[in-house]
Amino acid sequence: MDATIGWWDDFFWAGLEVIQVFFVAMVGTVALGLMGAAAKLSKSRTAQKIASGYTIFFRGTPEILVLFIIYYGSAITLTSIFQFFDPTIKFVDIPPFWAGSFGISLIVGAYATETFRGAFLGVDPGLIEASRALGISNLKTFFYVRVPEMWRLALPPFGNHMLSVIKDTALISIIGLDELLFVAEQGMGATAKPFPFFFAVGGIYLAFSTVITLTAMMLEKRANRHLEGSR
Amino acid sequence: MSIDIALTLESIPKMLMGIGVTFQLLFITLGLGTALAIVLLLMRISGRWYLSVPSMVYIYVFRGTPILVQVFIIYHGLPGLEFVRESIFWPILRDPFGCAVVALTLNTGAYVSEILRGGVLGVERGLLEAGSALGLSVRQRFIYITTPIAVRLATPAYSNDVISLMKSTALVSTITVVDMTGIARTIVAETYAPYEIFLSLAIVYLIITWGIQKSFGAFERRMSRHVKQETAA
Amino acid sequence: MTDAIIQLQGVDKFFGNFQALRDINLEVQKGEKIVVCGPSGSGKSTMIRCINRLEEHSAGKIIVDGHELTDEVKDIDAVRREVGMVFQSFNLFPHRTIIDNLMLAPRLVRKTSKAEAREHAMRLLERVRIPEQADKYPVQLSGGQQQRVAIARALCMNPEIMLFDEPTSALDPEMINEVLEVMTDLAHEGMTMICVTHEMGFARSVADRVVFMDQGEIVEMNPPAEFFDNPKNDRTKLFLSQIIQH
Repeated sequence: MDATIGWWDDFFWAGLEVIQVFFVAMVGTVALGLMGAAAKLSKSRTAQKIASGYTIFFRGTPEILVLFIIYYGSAITLTSIFQFFDPTIKFVDIPPFWAGSFGISLIVGAYATETFRGAFLGVDPGLIEASRALGISNLKTFFYVRVPEMWRLALPPFGNHMLSVIKDTALISIIGLDELLFVAEQGMGATAKPFPFFFAVGGIYLAFSTVITLTAMMLEKRANRHLEGSR
Repeated sequence: MSIDIALTLESIPKMLMGIGVTFQLLFITLGLGTALAIVLLLMRISGRWYLSVPSMVYIYVFRGTPILVQVFIIYHGLPGLEFVRESIFWPILRDPFGCAVVALTLNTGAYVSEILRGGVLGVERGLLEAGSALGLSVRQRFIYITTPIAVRLATPAYSNDVISLMKSTALVSTITVVDMTGIARTIVAETYAPYEIFLSLAIVYLIITWGIQKSFGAFERRMSRHVKQETAA
Repeated sequence: MTDAIIQLQGVDKFFGNFQALRDINLEVQKGEKIVVCGPSGSGKSTMIRCINRLEEHSAGKIIVDGHELTDEVKDIDAVRREVGMVFQSFNLFPHRTIIDNLMLAPRLVRKTSKAEAREHAMRLLERVRIPEQADKYPVQLSGGQQQRVAIARALCMNPEIMLFDEPTSALDPEMINEVLEVMTDLAHEGMTMICVTHEMGFARSVADRVVFMDQGEIVEMNPPAEFFDNPKNDRTKLFLSQIIQH
């Protein structure tokens, strides 16, 4: 284990990278998930088709391939655009951080679309009817009745989405992001002692996923607290 | 920027040469992984702490860490340990394909185990009580009541896991296994045409996914023929 | 020393801190029909579920057909072979046909041969008047039919005692009678029965004794005429006034 001493500050910054990717990708995931769900639930055939295509593509394609397409594809495109203006430019890319975060958002967002859609449909129609029958407007019903129910229903799968995001971060090391796995590979190269490094990386990721799981459990408990004590 | 159709068309057959590796990986890992999952499940629900705790820890670790990290530990990490190099497993672990099988099996075993457990938990308590009231033993209840119902309940989640596993096979290209993704990366490195190559490869994967979903859909329909279908609200 | 086929002596049952049964004392003779009624939460289901050890009693003694119910698996198994149970939610095995539902326990527990089990099962299906449904799946039958199958399934084990836990509570009104008829026939044939039910008409015509439970205790117990026309305890009077309105 002492092989890794000296690398701990690298691990620290790499860990920070992972956390940053997590938050950025979560924002993207939720945004895309809500948009996708809205599209699928809308009356517009076109919107439904586009959303369908989106979820089918990103749930059926290997994550690493998605990252390759976004990163290398955008690099080639940007490079040729920039070379048009300045032929001496060799290589332009989107920083792996953004390519990776965007890629993860697209992928997990496709799963989130299904989750949010399911949560929306899972709300007991009786509750909505009761609210409308009381004279509460459509908009208020949406925010005060439907959304809280949706949140409660979406939490369990949403917790899994959060776990997916943090684990997929390791894939971004392949396209060059200096996150944990990347650092571990460098450490392995430098010390020729791979095991402690990868073990440490595993441990740190496990710590992250534990935090996420505990947070999800707490949120679920809180969201369901009005249901406790039923016989 | 134009799309080079010719390049796409001649690359697809090259990439498809890797499909054998992809499928081999998929089926071997699925078989071994499901077997492992059943063992883990039985340990987990056995009620004996010295069986259920190791099982829970195993599942927790393998579901809580990125699969790529697990692949790297097995491929890069293990050879660094003396006792691994001298063990009987060395011939398997020295070979990238072998490492891939081991890593994916260990990983999918954990996920499938939880899926099966979800199926087991979903069996209505009343049915088990009826079995118990009729005098069936614990073992008999598990075999004749729990298992058939749990399998039916777990099938949708299981099919999703098979698809995930199929997607994970693409990761083995990072440890030099020559599957479809590995071949694609080589071609892109030479031709600088990521869109043509990677997008067409994505379509190949989508077709495989579609095939898997259709097969499971047919299987699910068959298993549910005697179950009340919920009509769409 | 009595030869009562079921004896409950000083039985208590706790779920955590909640006491579901308080000092239950009950003796049931062979061939007796007992109807148990009471408000929800009174412990009536808990009590009969203790008799076939679906629940474990916390204190006191339960003796069924000579076997005392303890943690001894041998005794529990012996009791379950002799005691049949019918549940409110039928609990038919959805993945097996009707006849398979009936044949499963005899073949596994009594090691009956397939042919014998099938013959016995068909006879019972005729007894509950639905032999033609033998090869269908539970989901294809109505509630009333499913419950009659459930009764037949319990009878397939040739029990000495039949326990009914609110057998008609989950049924649509028009199907209640077909099940009560089967239960009445069973009663006339001499089966020892304990029924938790709200069907007071059934209680009046079939029961030897009616037991009223409230908050975990047996409050009053009498033959039906006495019980309905001359309730002694105030709580019994209150309960009767609440249910016999419609």
